[in-house]
Amino acid sequence: MSVYQPIPGARFVDPTVLARIGNLEMVAKTVVDGLINGTHRSPFFGASVDFATHRGYVAGDDIRRMDWRVYARTDKYYIKEFEADSNSNFNVLLDVSKSMSFGEKISKLDYAKTLAACLTYLANQQRDRVGVVTFDEGVVDHVPPSAKHMDVVLHTLDRARAEKPGHLVAPIRRLAEHFGRRGIIVVISDFYAEPEEIFDAVGLLRFRGNDVVLFHVLDPQEVDFAFVEPSSFEDLESGDQIPIVPAALADQYRSLVAAHIEALTARASQQQIDYMLLNTSQPLDYALFRFLSMRERMARTR
Amino acid sequence: MSFLAPLFLLGLAALAVPVLIHLTQRERKSVVMFPSLMFLKKIPYESVQKRRLRDWLLLALRLAALLLIVAAFSRPFLRGSSVAAAPGGARDIVVLLDRSYSMGYGDSWSRAQRLAAESIASATAADRVSVVLFADSAEVVLRSTPDRSRAVAEINAASPGPGATKYGPALKLAGSLLAESLLPRKEVIVVSDFQRSGWQPDDTLRLPGGTVITTAVVEGAAGPSLALTPATLLRTRDAGQPERVTVTAGVLNRTAAEATAIPLQLEMDGRIVQTLPVSVAGNASATVTFAPVSIAATTTRATVRLGAAAPKGVAGQSGVAPAMSAIDALARDNVFNFTITPSAPVPVTVVTQGNRDDANLYLARALAIGEAPRFETSLQSAEALAGDAVNRARLLVLNDVAVSEDAAAKLVTFVEGGGGLLIVLGPRASWPSAREAWLPAIVGPAADRTRGAAAKLSGMDYGHAVFEPFRAPRSGDFSTARFYSYRALKVAKDATVLARFDTGEPALVEKTIGRGRVVMLASTIDLSWNDLALKPVFLPFVHQLGRHLSGFREQPAYLTIGEVLDITAAEIAAGATTSTAMANGGRTVLAPSGQRRDLSPSAPGATGDKSGVGVTAALELVEQGFYEVRAGGKEPGAVVVAAANVDLSESNLERMDPKELSAGVTGNGAAGSTLAPDVLPDKAQELAQRVWWYLLFAGILLLIAETVVAQRLSRATR
Repeated sequence: MSVYQPIPGARFVDPTVLARIGNLEMVAKTVVDGLINGTHRSPFFGASVDFATHRGYVAGDDIRRMDWRVYARTDKYYIKEFEADSNSNFNVLLDVSKSMSFGEKISKLDYAKTLAACLTYLANQQRDRVGVVTFDEGVVDHVPPSAKHMDVVLHTLDRARAEKPGHLVAPIRRLAEHFGRRGIIVVISDFYAEPEEIFDAVGLLRFRGNDVVLFHVLDPQEVDFAFVEPSSFEDLESGDQIPIVPAALADQYRSLVAAHIEALTARASQQQIDYMLLNTSQPLDYALFRFLSMRERMARTR
Repeated sequence: MSFLAPLFLLGLAALAVPVLIHLTQRERKSVVMFPSLMFLKKIPYESVQKRRLRDWLLLALRLAALLLIVAAFSRPFLRGSSVAAAPGGARDIVVLLDRSYSMGYGDSWSRAQRLAAESIASATAADRVSVVLFADSAEVVLRSTPDRSRAVAEINAASPGPGATKYGPALKLAGSLLAESLLPRKEVIVVSDFQRSGWQPDDTLRLPGGTVITTAVVEGAAGPSLALTPATLLRTRDAGQPERVTVTAGVLNRTAAEATAIPLQLEMDGRIVQTLPVSVAGNASATVTFAPVSIAATTTRATVRLGAAAPKGVAGQSGVAPAMSAIDALARDNVFNFTITPSAPVPVTVVTQGNRDDANLYLARALAIGEAPRFETSLQSAEALAGDAVNRARLLVLNDVAVSEDAAAKLVTFVEGGGGLLIVLGPRASWPSAREAWLPAIVGPAADRTRGAAAKLSGMDYGHAVFEPFRAPRSGDFSTARFYSYRALKVAKDATVLARFDTGEPALVEKTIGRGRVVMLASTIDLSWNDLALKPVFLPFVHQLGRHLSGFREQPAYLTIGEVLDITAAEIAAGATTSTAMANGGRTVLAPSGQRRDLSPSAPGATGDKSGVGVTAALELVEQGFYEVRAGGKEPGAVVVAAANVDLSESNLERMDPKELSAGVTGNGAAGSTLAPDVLPDKAQELAQRVWWYLLFAGILLLIAETVVAQRLSRATR
């Protein structure tokens, strides 16, 4: 099951090549700058200073925001209101559980780290405050959002290692209470949990007014299940083993994975959460491009 | 069929390995690490394929190959075959009968004789029997005979001796007897109480191949077991009083039962001197100290005896009390013999030129001090050398003396007969040039070191007996002595330089001549040429020289049976001079049993120099009690009395497992069982056991076939 569709006129960078660069900042620059130059538009609105509306003055309002022109015309006090703050918080929640270490050419974690770096870089370019949280069964690293934290975020991403078994729900529940100020929260994970559990947790983020984006990162082997030899399959996180004859199980497995993705897509749509499936065999900038396009389309419809 | 190595049959468990491989490993060639089994676990899956055996032929081949190889390693033995049924043949039996003194415990000896006789009775007319009696040494009393009645008679005639058990010599002797045997079957029958103290595992001790060891254990009698440990002697000497000695005896209780109020006697020369009661707790020891007794002028034979009074005269003979059985079933270790010898002085003659008493002052004073040994110094003028003054001394000191030709001849005889000669070289010392080659060094002119730095002693041979006590750091500094003059010495080839001056010239030279020694000191022994006599090392140095040159060795108060008495050293310690040693053509030994034996230079038992001038004699002690050695010849010499005691380790009746001994000498514990299997000749054994070779060959063939089949099946599945 491949979701990679070539885009005419665009040349994307192979993720395995990006992974070899090693320097996340350079990778992010390479991907994002090329992308922005191609699109000339940013879909994020956190940095907007556009006028929104007028409202009547009430005691306590800052008189510097008074619209004196309207007062001259109407002899009434009005306050100018703007579309948004000049910038917003941009948080990446990166799953560093052991299952993320899986991958043939490039591990899911490397792919996710590059993706997180690119998104952070993009947001930072737009003067957003950037932060990152890595988690497995608990919170591993937490960089609070700040305009000056770009380097810290990249460093944190760089040293993230997939070493422990993960649990998606518990850390996200804890983090939901932590994010006081609304902003954009990007969750990057392989989402090995039941959709109900995932959205029960992610919903908490959403209900607090955050703009939540889910990136579902999977390796082609997880999606296509192209194994041939009968083998003993060992769960990377639990260590459980079961003997598998892939030829007999592949079809059922693929259908179960497809059902899982479909369930995630449906639930995300219901809760107005952006969800995107990323295959690590796809070029990263292609994935970003698709995502930004989708955001733009959705922004228009919202 | 039976197996030589049945433990290898455990390898049959390996048959399960190919089956398990088929059942498990073929289905799980590798492990695939997968992020999550969340979806795979949801799939209903019955693993049927892994339980199915596919290659039956391959499995059968592997199992058969393994079966054959395991069977080959377990060495099957065809007992019922015609080969195995070959006649066993006649036996060569060696009966080893323990005659150590522990066999005298209760009625152990009669039971041992009965067991030995029974084992001989099982022999057939074709068998040959040897009888070996052993304790700490082994003796063949009957060598390989078919006459069983003679063997039984020899056993009945034997009695337990005073020796301690040692299995090693007896088994070695049995091995050498069997090695000469031409009979196909060999057997060693050990009749003993199997005391642990008698067995020391020895890798070199091996009986000939196929020898069967049969053990007959003589159970010891129950009851108390007390033993006397070696007594300690404390000598005291008060001014004007004869020397006194305090005897402390130790009693060891080897049983758990407490022994109370057991009388302990001290006997001296056959008379009971003191009796004290002693109580010993179970598995413990106690000591008893007798009141001090005066030492007589001659050697006293003393005995500490546990139990009731012995009849007078018995202690002087065998030293074994017959009445001991009331206290202890093992009587021999209830007696401890020792000698109390008055410390005899070593006669020293110091010869000086003229009346120069000041020249002998420091030497005579130094020799007068000391107890072990005590030196009895007599001063003589140089003229006395022509008389017989020489022969009365053990050590002769020529203190700066010009020696005449006649005197030199006498000195040569004196030294070759075992005397010690110290030649102190001063300005007057000279030696007849005709006899210079006899000396350790040729005496040269005096070297004058009064101007400039005086000479010092250096380069001492600390490995030599004279300087050995000064070897350790801060044990005496010779370098502080200043030598202002000394005689140059040209050392003979066979002489040893014991010390040198810092100029490299020899200061002290030694030569062994005959049985005696000559030492030359290149400087004086008074203050005329050096100040050595004022230094702290002077006294111990003179004592060491005297002790070394006189050949004095302190004699022990008692010996253990099996040890060797150095008669010469004992005579010297008893005050013998060289004249008595020379006069003695031989010695007479009176054993504790009353047996008299001559120990002449040509007689067996005498060792060492047999030139006839003097004899270094040694005597092995084989009986418990007192040995007496008297010098023969016209002039009566010193009488040597030596006390011999049984080995205390033998009184420990702790028993070992006879299998341990069997395993030790055969390398196979099973060979020691009394029910020994039939032993086939080597060729017949080889034939009967050859099956393993065919089995192994067939197993290897099957493995080759398995490889071929596996390759073909593998290609077919691809």
